[in-house]
Amino acid sequence: MKKEIASFKVNDRAHEVLITPNMTLSELLREHLGLTGTKNACGAGECGSCTVLVDGKPILSCSTLAIAVQDKEILCIEGLSRGPELHSLQEAFIDAGAIQCGFCTPGMIMTAKAMLEGNPNPTRDQVKEGLGGNICRCTGYVKIIDAVMGAADTLSKGGK
Amino acid sequence: MTEKLSVVGKRVPRWRAHDKATGTAKFLADTKLPGMLEGKILFSPHAHAKILKIDTSKAEKLPGVEAVITWEDVPNKLFNPNKLDLILVHPELEFKDTYVLSEKARFVGDRIAAVAAVDAATAQEALELIEVEYEVLPAVFDPMEAMKPGAPKLHDFAENNISVHFDFPVAWGDAEAGFQEADIVVEETFRTAKNHICQFEPCTCMADFGADGRLRIWSPSQHAFLHRRKIAEIFDMPEGMIQWITPHVGGAFGKYGSLSIEPVCVALAKKAGRPIKLELSREEDLFATEPRQRYVSTGKIGLKKDGTITALQEKIIVDGGAYYTHNFSTTAVNMGGFLGLYRCPNVAAEATCVYSNVHPTGGVRGYGNHEGTCMLEQLVDKAADKLGMDPLDLRLKNAKKAGDPSSTGIPMETCSFEEMIKLGAEKIGWKEKRARKKEDGPKRYGIGIGIAMDVSGAQPFNIQHRNAFIKFNEDGSVNLLLNAADLGQNIIGAMAQIAAETLGLNYEDIHVVTGDTDSTLYDIGQHASGGCYQIGNAVINAAEKAKKQLLERAAKKLEAAPEDLEVREGHVYVISDPEKTISVGDVSREAMYNFEGEHLNISGQGSFSPVQNPPPLSAVFTEVEVDIETGEVKVLKILYVADPGRAINPATVEGQLEGAIAQSLGYVLTEEYVSNRETGALESDNLNTYKVPSTLDMPETEVVLYEEPVPSGPFGAKGIAQGAMIAVTPSIANAIYDAVGVFVTDMPATAERILEGLK
Ligand code: FES
Ligand code: FES
Repeated sequence: MKKEIASFKVNDRAHEVLITPNMTLSELLREHLGLTGTKNACGAGECGSCTVLVDGKPILSCSTLAIAVQDKEILCIEGLSRGPELHSLQEAFIDAGAIQCGFCTPGMIMTAKAMLEGNPNPTRDQVKEGLGGNICRCTGYVKIIDAVMGAADTLSKGGK
Repeated sequence: MTEKLSVVGKRVPRWRAHDKATGTAKFLADTKLPGMLEGKILFSPHAHAKILKIDTSKAEKLPGVEAVITWEDVPNKLFNPNKLDLILVHPELEFKDTYVLSEKARFVGDRIAAVAAVDAATAQEALELIEVEYEVLPAVFDPMEAMKPGAPKLHDFAENNISVHFDFPVAWGDAEAGFQEADIVVEETFRTAKNHICQFEPCTCMADFGADGRLRIWSPSQHAFLHRRKIAEIFDMPEGMIQWITPHVGGAFGKYGSLSIEPVCVALAKKAGRPIKLELSREEDLFATEPRQRYVSTGKIGLKKDGTITALQEKIIVDGGAYYTHNFSTTAVNMGGFLGLYRCPNVAAEATCVYSNVHPTGGVRGYGNHEGTCMLEQLVDKAADKLGMDPLDLRLKNAKKAGDPSSTGIPMETCSFEEMIKLGAEKIGWKEKRARKKEDGPKRYGIGIGIAMDVSGAQPFNIQHRNAFIKFNEDGSVNLLLNAADLGQNIIGAMAQIAAETLGLNYEDIHVVTGDTDSTLYDIGQHASGGCYQIGNAVINAAEKAKKQLLERAAKKLEAAPEDLEVREGHVYVISDPEKTISVGDVSREAMYNFEGEHLNISGQGSFSPVQNPPPLSAVFTEVEVDIETGEVKVLKILYVADPGRAINPATVEGQLEGAIAQSLGYVLTEEYVSNRETGALESDNLNTYKVPSTLDMPETEVVLYEEPVPSGPFGAKGIAQGAMIAVTPSIANAIYDAVGVFVTDMPATAERILEGLK
């Protein structure tokens, strides 16, 4: 298959990668950039575990071609915290007990981030709606929703 | 217990929560070894077939392919992927019927061959080049058909495809006489759901034979030591030559109570002489790893007019699939749940385990008790109906109390079912809601209850040995060494809390070493909700021994008697003179670095083998709305009252219960594991067709922890995680029964089945 060099901007850093036309964004992140925080629980667009943000919008990286997101702003879980300083959502997930096995966590947090940017003060039902495409097999979602509500509160008070 | 606790009972962050929140936690799929190859398995497309010829030459020639294996390359040795034969009191009821790769396919998805190549795509391409000549055999997909004379036979030793028929080994009373005595008898036949746990991380394994000749296996096992022994037996190796490393586990729920792809991975690593990673896709995980058994079970309950239960009986056909695995053990537990939940003087049960060409089953959360209790709890509601009694009163009438035997037969130290049921009824408004008008247009309202008791381990039926080791560092922190897989239930965090509390240290002072058979002591593994109760006691034992050394050492420094010392937040104080104090770090460091010839690394090894088996208790209340036009069930609210003994970390205990609510919802309503009736191939092989609940399916939930510390538990704790679905499932079924009178015998209760029931 024809390979070409393509440039990507991931977590504020520029990368040049030799890609094939059929390479998915998830493959690019996990296999070529070593960013394995993004998970693949289905690889078929059915679970949300591979969610990353492209120009601020949540997309399923397992079902998105890398070639299609060249030169766009890609943000994945590794780019969310700044050094030791965690994002409010990450803090909230830890404090609320919203993490069990943790396999869904990166996708959940990225989806929640995009949602809160569009709607900084959501109701519980809106959070449920917003996370409707992200499966978690462990938690029953209660503490995940608690965490997102908590983070929304912190963020609207000026937290990071 | 009235002592003041400073770490136990606190909502501290779970172990490695930070890594999981930042994406730095490495799961197996995130890991690479130098020189690693990727493996792929060729699964049988036929439900029943003999391999006449298998030609791998084309696959071998494909550039990038390093190894291809078939049944001819693996040990000619049968095994049972279920580890219980190693620790069961009655191992004669476990059968070995599985090969690493087989010459005969017994279900669609049986393992035929495997390839290792430079990458997964090449391995996949190579699979397609393997030429297999099959002799397709007649197949049978239904256990009733499979038992008939002349049905296709799966295993030579099993006449009529029956692997074993057994009676409940520890029955009591005289069931026949009990039914004679009864004023009413209710009997129903159920078909439970063959549900897949669908843990979120698809099954993955790595294996490597090092230059030192030792085999390293990385696999999210729940039983590292027992599975190591299984691999040692299969590949004829000494156990010590195998190191089993358990990485982060992306959910398990019983899944990793069986060996799954590890033997194939090891065989590939052996042949290729290189490290191998084998990763299943979601689809493969669904069809090639074990779902629950389906029980076709007839349950019978006899009662006096006043509601007293006089007899219980269960006759089970176990639709266990193509291999035996956990058939006996889950079914015995099913019986224990069915017969042992209530006071009842006369019980009996029998089961027939049947092979057929469907996907083999394993141990899934609830491990038989889930299905046994669910059937019983539904029968109780039907009996209440017949007697004109409130099902809640019927439960109160027969509920067990402290001192009664639990479902394992061991007398219970505590048991407050009565208080829990009353508390829940009060909170949800049972009396008013039960009496409420059902109709609202096509929508019918209903409320139901389910109760359950589970276990804190598998004593007295299994060996249950646990070990822990504690050693102090110079700074006064400790390493806690144990072998417990954190499957999401937070066993590690809970053990660190217990260690900190016992030692008088802070939670942050406990650094846990786990997941490596080389550096931890033997442990039977995570099953039967035994972890917290059993390992917790071993940790206390280890901590007390280490603390004794610490205090003896500190006593000299402080010129006080060891009995006059206490440890709080990392400091040793003289009780009679609290001004006199020394930091734990100073004591520990001085013990290591001194010129007095009294060198000591303060440490302690603790062990535990349980005598008790205190059951965690559950009482669950569910409200539903059923649409009689569409058959759709909407769960409105679930209230869960649980007695975990003591919640070491209430947040993670609640998390177990909330997660189980979601899993029960899926079990009762949406998760249907469907195979094609003609071919036996799995049809629900992705997350669109196998419907796991999402946020949008979740009702309002409320969890109430009714903590009654149990004397034999670590700080009073019992197990909680495994049993958490058990009462939820029947409470939903009973709410449906209350709403529309449809008695759900066939799970899941899909809209079609509800409509069928309404006819
Ligand atoms: S892995 Fe992309 S949606 Fe499941
Ligand atoms: S925490 Fe395990 S899948 Fe969400």
